[in-house]
Amino acid sequence: MATSTLPPVTVREGLAQGRRRRRTGGGWKQLAVSQAFLLPAVLVLVFLFVVPLAQSFYWSLTDFTGYSTDVTFTGLSNYRTILTDPSMLAALGFTLLFGVGTTVIVTVIAIPLAVQLNKRFFGRNFVRSLWFFPAIPSMAILGLVWRYILSPIESGVVNSVLDDLFGIGPFGWLSDDSLARFSVILVGIWSAAGWHAVLYMAYLQSIPSEYYEVARIDGASPRQQFFAITLPLLTPALVISTFLLMTAGLKVFDLPYTLTNGGPGFATYTITQSIVVSGVSQGRYGLASALAVLFTLAVALLAFGQLWLTKTIERRFV
Amino acid sequence: MKRSRLMAAALGAALAVSAAAGCGSGAGNDASTLTFLSWTGEEQMQPILDAFHEANPDITVEASYAPPVAEYIQTLQTRVLSGTAPDVFMIAAENKTSLIEGGHVVDLTNEPFMDKIPDFNKETYGRDGRVYGMSVSSWAAGYLYNKDLLAQVGYDSVPESWDEFLVMCEELQAAGVTPFLESVDQMPTTVSAWIGAKSYEMEPTLDELIFSGESTFEEQWTPALEEYNRLFTEGIVAKDVVGLDGDMVRDEFANGRVAVINAGPWVINAIREASPDLEFEFAPVPALPDGTPFQAGAATPGYAINSQASEEKQAMAKKFLDFLASPEGVAVFEEQTNDVTVTSDFEPTPDPAFEPLAAAIREGRLYLPMISWQRSEDVLNVEAVAQIQRMIQGQVDPAGVATALDTKLASS
Repeated sequence: MATSTLPPVTVREGLAQGRRRRRTGGGWKQLAVSQAFLLPAVLVLVFLFVVPLAQSFYWSLTDFTGYSTDVTFTGLSNYRTILTDPSMLAALGFTLLFGVGTTVIVTVIAIPLAVQLNKRFFGRNFVRSLWFFPAIPSMAILGLVWRYILSPIESGVVNSVLDDLFGIGPFGWLSDDSLARFSVILVGIWSAAGWHAVLYMAYLQSIPSEYYEVARIDGASPRQQFFAITLPLLTPALVISTFLLMTAGLKVFDLPYTLTNGGPGFATYTITQSIVVSGVSQGRYGLASALAVLFTLAVALLAFGQLWLTKTIERRFV
Repeated sequence: MKRSRLMAAALGAALAVSAAAGCGSGAGNDASTLTFLSWTGEEQMQPILDAFHEANPDITVEASYAPPVAEYIQTLQTRVLSGTAPDVFMIAAENKTSLIEGGHVVDLTNEPFMDKIPDFNKETYGRDGRVYGMSVSSWAAGYLYNKDLLAQVGYDSVPESWDEFLVMCEELQAAGVTPFLESVDQMPTTVSAWIGAKSYEMEPTLDELIFSGESTFEEQWTPALEEYNRLFTEGIVAKDVVGLDGDMVRDEFANGRVAVINAGPWVINAIREASPDLEFEFAPVPALPDGTPFQAGAATPGYAINSQASEEKQAMAKKFLDFLASPEGVAVFEEQTNDVTVTSDFEPTPDPAFEPLAAAIREGRLYLPMISWQRSEDVLNVEAVAQIQRMIQGQVDPAGVATALDTKLASS
């Protein structure tokens, strides 16, 4: 079998070679061709993200109601309203709690789950399917189903079971502030854990088994193997998974909307629900746009912070 | 090769432009076609449109559908903004201020068919004495009671006074029956009815005083909220109701687990289907001292005509509205929607269980805060529902709920 005779090139050297080539005359043509491939993606980004964001920023400075483009410039009054409205501050608080809570707990559950599901055992495919299933239905459907399961009255499914088995309850799963927050986060974790475990499994299967054989020969315990081999080599998956979880968590709308409708009070109200309610239901598109602009900036800040953190960890381990 | 590619590209562009032009036109291309964005579903609306076409073969109604409420409001708003609004659409509580203030709807005040519409429905979709929507029916919500469970403690109906109602609830509790459940995921029926009963006797009305700045929510709403809060502070209703929606409350009633609930006519079919033998009837909300039993409710959304439609289309639209208000049109409408119609030349036949509230509908003895409020309707409604839920949980007192509404009104 023929093997490559080219010397190995590191990424850094490759980039340097590219830069050197670009400085030469022929490099410009090559560069133009390669950049042309980026054009569709750039166009999509500009027309579906940059332009709407710029429009949102413009509307956020007006009293736009959605029915006429004849608007009045209101300066930063929409931003002032947001920062002094208790319901929007409550929405911000729960959105952050949901985003961070689901990211941390799903990650803590999904990695060991993936390790277990990656082992050979009877009925493995069935168990994998069982865990993956909650990721298939829409969150809105899950919210409606769980609304009945967690009904706070005696006839609610969970309360009936607790009463029959232990003679306790009923508990206000959706009617008590803290329990309602807990319930929304719990359902969010339940629906996402299996999907993210599958993501980790895909990376687990790419870890060469020789690493574990060598570790076993050296006398490493399963715990040591997990922390010294599995976890570091899962870092790329960790970056993707936590990034997806955090962005999805911060944008969450359908689950709390169908499960608790943001209540009781504003206990499970989210920023996205606030944007939809202000814009669509209340015709305050100026205010909703201001909220969307602030939220985009906040999410971008968090996402970049998270990317920086995970990249730092990745560089440390890989 | 190059030429054929160019031709293909040109043809594609031409198709795209013509498709966009077709989509962009709100009015039907055909001079005999009237466009209509329906709030009512196609299954119920199509027989009404067929009846209209039979009576007016020269006009075809091209209907599109969007379910209420949020999706309809957004669809219509997008079409109005882009200049592609249909010739006829629905004006509702959620969009009436924007549509009227923006001049998007035709003034129907002097149209002959409006003579059949009662003042209550006209005022709902009117402004400054002018009317912009034709509402042919109204809805009401009150208390729905299980006759057998009430009979267990010696009652044959819901008492007319609030104090007597609370006594009945205590007796039901003592007999091991859950006395009352009311979903508070929306404005509670009880609160709406009490505020409505008070406003009905006032001149100027309660909301006119509040929105003109002569009075406040704190002054007008606090007594009713204090009475409502007795349900929870006196342990008659569990605080867990804040986690229930209307369907859950209805299911509890259908399964015979609760004696009285808040409800409207929309629950009748579901309850009959779930429990065919259940004996139930509606009653108005019991009165506070010095008040009268009253009901929550409002005029259903009205048919409105697009002010940007051509004169010919507006004339056709008026023919359509004339038919919808005629006895023939109302008869088909009632058959399809089961709504209690209010036109003067048609006598509706409501479900027997709903009879006790039907007369109030015809008389316009109804009140819904969101409809009656003069601005920031949804902003105030969201705030009121959330604050009432907090009051039930004991996080804020009744005066605090009303004060929060005053603060919201001042800031919006």
